[in-house]
This record gives sequence, C-alpha cells and structure tokens, in this order.
Amino acid sequence: MLSSLPPASPSCRLTRRQLLQASAIALAGLPLSGCGWTLAEVRPAVGKPGNKDELFVYTWSQYTDDTLLEEFTSQNGIRVIADIFNSNETMLATFQAGKGSIYSVVYPSDYKVSEMIEKGLLSPLNPNQVEGLDNLLPQFQNSPHDPGNKYSVPLSWGTTGFIYNSEKLNPPPDDWDYLWQNQAKLSRRITLLDDVREVMGAVLRSLGYSYNSTKPNEIKQAYEKLTKLKPAIASFTTDAWRDQMVAGDLLIAMGYSADAMGVINENPQLKYVIPKSGSSLWSDTMAIPKTAPNFDAAYAWVNFMLQPSVAAQITQRLFFATPNQAAYDQLPAPLRNNETLFPADATLSNCERIKPLDANVTELYDRYWTKLTSG
Amino acid sequence: MTSESPSLTKAPSSQKPLARWLEPLSLLAPAGLWLLLLLVIPTLLIFELSLVPGIRPGQVVNPSGIDNYAQIFQPIYLTVVLRSLFFSIATTLLCLLLGFPVAHWIAIKAPKRWRNLLLLAFVLPLWTSSLLRSYAWITILRPTGVLNSFLGLLKLPSLDILNREPAVLIGMTYSLLPYMVLILYASLEKLDQRLLEAAADLGATPQEAFWKVTVPQTFPGIAAGSLLVFITCMGDFVNPELLGGASSMTVARLIYNQFLGATQNWGFGSALSTLLILAVSIAIALLLKFGDRDATRI
Repeated sequence: MLSSLPPASPSCRLTRRQLLQASAIALAGLPLSGCGWTLAEVRPAVGKPGNKDELFVYTWSQYTDDTLLEEFTSQNGIRVIADIFNSNETMLATFQAGKGSIYSVVYPSDYKVSEMIEKGLLSPLNPNQVEGLDNLLPQFQNSPHDPGNKYSVPLSWGTTGFIYNSEKLNPPPDDWDYLWQNQAKLSRRITLLDDVREVMGAVLRSLGYSYNSTKPNEIKQAYEKLTKLKPAIASFTTDAWRDQMVAGDLLIAMGYSADAMGVINENPQLKYVIPKSGSSLWSDTMAIPKTAPNFDAAYAWVNFMLQPSVAAQITQRLFFATPNQAAYDQLPAPLRNNETLFPADATLSNCERIKPLDANVTELYDRYWTKLTSG
Repeated sequence: MTSESPSLTKAPSSQKPLARWLEPLSLLAPAGLWLLLLLVIPTLLIFELSLVPGIRPGQVVNPSGIDNYAQIFQPIYLTVVLRSLFFSIATTLLCLLLGFPVAHWIAIKAPKRWRNLLLLAFVLPLWTSSLLRSYAWITILRPTGVLNSFLGLLKLPSLDILNREPAVLIGMTYSLLPYMVLILYASLEKLDQRLLEAAADLGATPQEAFWKVTVPQTFPGIAAGSLLVFITCMGDFVNPELLGGASSMTVARLIYNQFLGATQNWGFGSALSTLLILAVSIAIALLLKFGDRDATRI
C-alpha cells in the first residue's frame, strides 16, 4: 500500500519524511502561540446591516405556528423564520457558539434572563418602541428576574408537573414521591425533563428543601435519591414524551403545563397534576439580543405578541397561559377556569420560581447532573 | 530502485528548486488549503482548548494543564468511554456476522445477472436520511410499536427493547450493514474460484475450504469493513441519543452535553473530542496497514 508509492527521487533535497516533520512542528506551534483570546465571544456584526425584510426568532417548540407567522407577515410584511430549541442551556450554548448574530428575538426563561443580562448578551428595551407593556398582569410587570421589564417581556407562564394516564394509574399521583413509591409498577414508563434545574429542584422539593438550594449536602441527597430512581426512568426528554404519552408508551411523564394542555386535548385519558409539595412556576420571556441584525422587526414582533387579540388567539390555539390581562379577559370561560392552564392561587403560592445561582453552585448541580445522565 | 541513468538525473537538477516545487504545489494547493483551514486548524484549536482546564465560553484561553484529560479517567467517564468501545466492537462483530453470509452469497452463489440488483437492494436504505431510519426503529421497537403488536398477535410476551442498549446495537448495526456488505462483496468478488476448486481436489470439505481459503484471502476486505464500521460507530450520535434513553451515554453524547448542555465545560468536551480523534486515527492507521484499499473505494 504505502510502500507501493514511488520513492523520492535522488535529486530531491527534501524527503517526504522531513517535510512531514517540519510541518508537524510548525503546526504544533500554532495553538501554543495563539493564547489569550476569549472563547466564544459574542460580538455584534459591525457594519453589516441585516436584511430588513427577514426576522429570525429563536424559540421553544410550541410557541409559534404557521398561522401566527403568516398573520405577522400580513400585518408587517416581514418574513419570520422560527428556529427551535428545547432547553435554556442549549439556547445559551448555541448563542455563544456563534449563532447570536442571526436571531433578533430569543425566548429565554425567567432565570436565564438574569444570566444573559449579567453576561451582557441582551439589549435594553427602548420603552418608546414597545407598546402594550401595561396590558400585563400586575405580578408580571415587575418580575424578580428583570425588574421593570427592562430587558425582557413576559410571554407565557406555567407550572411543571406530572402528566399521567388516569385510566392506568389508580390511585392517581399527587406528589413527587409517587414515582419512588410505585417504582416497580412504573418501571421504564417514566420520563423526566431534560433540564437540570427542574429535575434536581423537584427532587430537592420532595425532600423538603428549596428548588434553589445552595447547600452541597442537600444537593447531594437529591442526587442520591435520583440515582435510586434512575433504573426506572426511560429517558430524560423535554419534548419527545408527548408522542409517547399519547401513544400509550408511557404511564407518567414530567412536563410543562403548556405542553400538557396539548396532549390532553389529543387523549382525554391524560391528566395533569401539580405535585402537593410544590412545583416550579416558570415564565418564558421575549428578549432582543445585543447582536440582533434587525432591531425594527424585533420590536414589531414584540408589539405584535403583546396585542391582546393575538395573545388570546395563541392561548386558545397553542395552549400556554398568557400574562396579558387584556387577553385573559378575552378568553372563553372554559379556558379561563382551566385548572391546568390557570391554577388556583392556593396552588400557585406553593410553587417556587427558579432563581439564578452562583457559578460554583451551578457547577455543583451540573456535575451531579452529568454523573446522573452518564451512568 | 535507484536506477542511476544519467538522463533521469540531469534534467531536474538543472531547474531551480522553486520551479521544481511549483507544479506539485499548484496542484495540491487548493485541496491542501481547504484541508488546512477546515480540518487541521480546527483540530488544533480543539487541542488547544483541551489544554485549558475547565474553560467555559466567555473566558480567556490560556493553555495551562492536562486536568481535562485527567478528568476522563474518573470512573464515571471511563465507563462512558468503555461503553462506546463496547458498542463499536459489538456492532462490528454483528455487522460481520450478518454481512459476510450476504456478501458471500451475492458474490459467489447468486446468478451473475442478479448481482447488481441485489447490491442495489442493499444500498437502497442509504438513500434515506439516517435520522429517519433511527426514528423508524423507534416506531418498531416502542412498547406499543410494530414489533410488540406482532408479538401480541402471536400471543407472545412483549419485549421492552427501546431506550436500552440492545436498541442502540440494533440501530447501529442496521445503519452500517450496507457498508460492510459492499466492502466484503468487493473483496469476495476478487476471490479466485480456482483456489476453492484446488482445495476441493486436495480433499478439503466445503467448511475447511471456507476457513482455510476464503477467509484468509478476503482478510483485507474483512479488516477494511470492520475498521470502517468501528470508526463510524465510535462517533455515532444519532442512534444512542434516539434509541438509547437514559442509560446509554456514549462519548459522542457526552461531548454534546459538554458543549450544548448544562455543563458548558468546553475544555472537557475538547479533551474528549481529542481522545475520539486519537482513537479514530489509530483505527485509520490499522486500516491503511491491513485493509484492502481497493475494497474501500466504493
């Protein structure tokens, strides 16, 4: 094979081996000479205005559909392309890895907004260009994660809980510990969310601690409790459980209330429950990154989503709870009284919001999560 | 080798060294530049990142140690590496066991006029997206999927295959079997049938002839096919991610988690990537040494 190649001609001063050795040394010196640069620095595309007729949106999977995009295009004449992510961490990672200069609107969850503000990734909203902020419910006008809605606009809110098959599970689940108590019966028919804060937080809550615990021994206990449940978990998934639940492959899945509504409509046997010991209350927001190529279209999109008629329509079509007071008033009574979408205040008061934590605490969570998912 | 005919050595030495290099350089430059910018430099960047312990995006790059590599040897991560190796070796063996009879039959036993059609039938799955093929396996292996419905019809107990390691093996074997069959076919087609006739004349049974004549003659094809399947399996992400569930973490998924998951430890991810590149390079070196180069030119 290699020996069948013709030998270097005798008049050549440089043999192939010497050339390879020289280039290897030269190339090896390259990385060592290139020190001191910042990894994954998100910089705006200077001097390169984006296409004014296009808007790229980075969002969760159930927050846009074709009707919504077409309606926006017919109102503003701007074409919208929506890209999907399934967890805040993926969104932040792809953002930092270089996709930041494409998207004009991103949809971080509440705790991710604080982190992105700290990292300097979001551009402050110009109050003159945003219309409709006063439509929001009072508790969403001044969220703990972004006081005064300076960088983000709340779009939806909900809870995390169990979606379960009410025909096959008797008695029905009411708390997180139901999984551990019925581990044998539910074996391999459980999925949990692919989100470190949600899952670890839920287990911490079942042990009586806070979702946002910073104590290492509490986090360790949560990890150990999860490893006991691990053999019974089919997979960690944020979106794939929906098809499996409707088809009957799963008995119980951890999911968001917005997604629960969709599957309950498809299969009335399924029900959603918020665990007794408390769950997480989340809200997803719209934000405009600093590196957005099309600021005007981004503001147009934000204002469009804040319109009460639009917000009411998408609540009815896409089933996520809206923080928009004017839209809430426009909803039909069955939706307004729906416990899954709009739980009672008593249940909500038992729910915690996920707060951003210090880097070293987050690293502890991540380390346990990696150990849990790698085993 | 060194034929010292004067006419050969006179003409080149009269040119300047630069002119002598100009022709090969100009022919190699486009491809070489492409490889340099899109393969060599990114690989070196990954190597540089792997030398910065625990670097996260937004931090300054200063190569300072091999802690990332030391982290790979922690038991939890070593398990992941060993699991990847297990998947790759098991898939290779399965592809070999399933692919060799098929290739043997197509190359030697099947009528000549059917050969191309049979090969086409085997290559046809490659024309669809590999992602779709993995999703098809989900539909088949699900608890309420095609397989279990079929078993239910036969009154047999249902099998819980999805989201476990056997599902990953099935998915990977199915994805890579066509490659193995093609490479083995190319090698078996060149087998000299007269050797088998000679073995029969000398008193060998068909089984003896197979093990003592066919297999050694086609060993380069076997090596090429096995190493190709092994290399592809080591880096496979789709099959373990879709079919493996919570307990089949492989090196590819671990790297994904480091870069796009919660951890954001690009340093550790780069170290794992460098390890994967090293493993594949060793496999390619073995392929070059033992493999049948003609067979891999599909």
